[in-house]
Amino acid sequence: MSTAATANLSPEPPRGTRRGPRRGRQRAGFAVGALLVALARAAAATDWDLSLDARLVSSDANPPFMDGGLGTVRYGSEQSGLQLGRARFALTQQLGELWSAHLDASMYDDQDRSPVGVTEAFLLFRPYPHQGWRFRLKAGGFYAPVSLENRAAGWDSPYTLSYSAIDSWLAIEVRTIGLEGTLEWLGTRSGRAFDFGITGAVFGWNEGAGAVLATNGFALTDRQTPLFGRVGQPQDAPLYGSEPFLQLDHREGFYGGLEARYLDRVVLRALHYDNRADPYAQDELSDFYAWHTRFDSAGVRVEAGHGLTAIAQWLDGETTTAGEGWPQSWPFRAAYALLAERCGRSTLSARYDRFEVDSIGADGYGAQSGHAWTAAYAYDAGAHWRFTLEWLQVVSSNYQREELGGLPLATETQVQLAIRYALGATNR
Amino acid sequence: MRPSARARRRGSPAALAAALLSLLAAPLATAGAATLVVNVETADGRGLAGAVVTVRALDGAPRHAAPLHAVMDQIDRAFAPDLLVIPVGSTVEFPNSDSVSHQIYSFSPAKRFQLPLYRGKPYPPVRFDQPGVVTLGCNIHDQMLAYLLVTDAPWYGRTNAAGAWSAEVPRGRYRVALWHPRLRDSDADLERELTVGDSDRADLTVRLSKPLQPAPLADRPHSWDY
Repeated sequence: MSTAATANLSPEPPRGTRRGPRRGRQRAGFAVGALLVALARAAAATDWDLSLDARLVSSDANPPFMDGGLGTVRYGSEQSGLQLGRARFALTQQLGELWSAHLDASMYDDQDRSPVGVTEAFLLFRPYPHQGWRFRLKAGGFYAPVSLENRAAGWDSPYTLSYSAIDSWLAIEVRTIGLEGTLEWLGTRSGRAFDFGITGAVFGWNEGAGAVLATNGFALTDRQTPLFGRVGQPQDAPLYGSEPFLQLDHREGFYGGLEARYLDRVVLRALHYDNRADPYAQDELSDFYAWHTRFDSAGVRVEAGHGLTAIAQWLDGETTTAGEGWPQSWPFRAAYALLAERCGRSTLSARYDRFEVDSIGADGYGAQSGHAWTAAYAYDAGAHWRFTLEWLQVVSSNYQREELGGLPLATETQVQLAIRYALGATNR
Repeated sequence: MRPSARARRRGSPAALAAALLSLLAAPLATAGAATLVVNVETADGRGLAGAVVTVRALDGAPRHAAPLHAVMDQIDRAFAPDLLVIPVGSTVEFPNSDSVSHQIYSFSPAKRFQLPLYRGKPYPPVRFDQPGVVTLGCNIHDQMLAYLLVTDAPWYGRTNAAGAWSAEVPRGRYRVALWHPRLRDSDADLERELTVGDSDRADLTVRLSKPLQPAPLADRPHSWDY
């Protein structure tokens, strides 16, 4: 890709990452500090989790986004062999009767800015239900209620190692740093078969979300960017180290969602998200600019008897930036269907993903389309050990690959054997 | 059939008086007693285990069962047992045998109460003075759900594995009512009146007209989101 082409066709990749906005990180530092003080002061017992996930990987994929490549899976062919999947430490601390603090920290050993990152940290206020109604308030950094597959500890999927394209994107770029309130009607506690919930949130520091999608497209990974973390390396094209957790204007984002449940069998979720970023906003020091990202998502999870689970999820949105001086947009959509059968200690899962990113006003830059098949077998050997074997194949076409001198179409296959040892509250 | 193997009779003076009265009444009752057998069948004709049967006499002075003291534990983030039938005036203890804290609530009209965050056995037993269904939840672990049926009926119990329950009752007219959290038939459809007459045994079979609600999922790891 020529320099001129880059300048004309693409939004200038985020540069100056070495001097990323410090305000956000300072605030995060204060928040984490306050949380640690609160944790230290609390006298009551703490629930903690510790887990180590090692992988044996065989991959023929292009280098992944963390290494400046356009691979659509977590590990490229050069990373075949033994890898650290994730080392995780989590704390839940009750703070009095109605408040609790939650901290989830992980290490991925893949050149992140700091070796240990916090993927979620929040305070939860949960008063008792009143006549069937219950209010909950979350404050801090956490995931929006979109995913229906990532329901295990640490926002992991109990079905597959690699998340769906939708949830991988959320893991890479989207996090709520703000306040979320949920009002629930607890029908199952009133002799009825249904529960309903309505959620609303205001947030900031997520105005860089969209840059990875518009540059690399969708991927299927289980690598979660830590809060205020970086995606990719500053020196590596085409991403040049993206920072999703930025606040460049004074407009807070919002989302609103609905949830309906039938007993403990069916969950329906819908969410509208809009980070309300001003696409013309730019940080003069770092040269980062804002990405106005909005999407709708909806999904359903059905758990039939005999261990059968079916999940279907859909996401449709658009991200816009005007870093070049004129607005450029990337509409995107993705969907997946997952079937899993749990029988005793074994879980067999299969998932089909489809994803697509269009490019408007950027001469095709960032356009991507593809699909993926994932098959996984997990075996829980007692309370502490879990073994998972996963086969993942992604077939995708990406305009960027051609620009970088390759073929636009790629078929990438990754096989992983994961051995996870876990200790703590979720194992007791 | 007793409501629970863990339930035992209270030793209060009132209970003692009730026991003495029942002793006095026993010869009379036995003289005119018969076995009432209630069979509960699902819509597809199979015996329904665990259905709650309550029986009230339509004639004579109202009678009540003596209060009990029962225990509902919390083990592996689940109530154990998850359904208790107790007479009005009974007390229930809610120990937490888990290593994680629980926070019990009920906003059911029959009994509104909360047991703030705890482990072990820090609270005295809770007394249930009103008849009705009390639905219990944990405010931290939403997958935890249990029921107490507080009854003012003198005869009560739960059907066995074959869907049957029986009791010795004096001859007379009765109203039999069924309850279970998974039943979808209306309350009126779950009530029957019958006369226990000259025969030594009276049989009542109730066949549900609607299929059961799905049972709670039992094999889901408790660390997953509900």
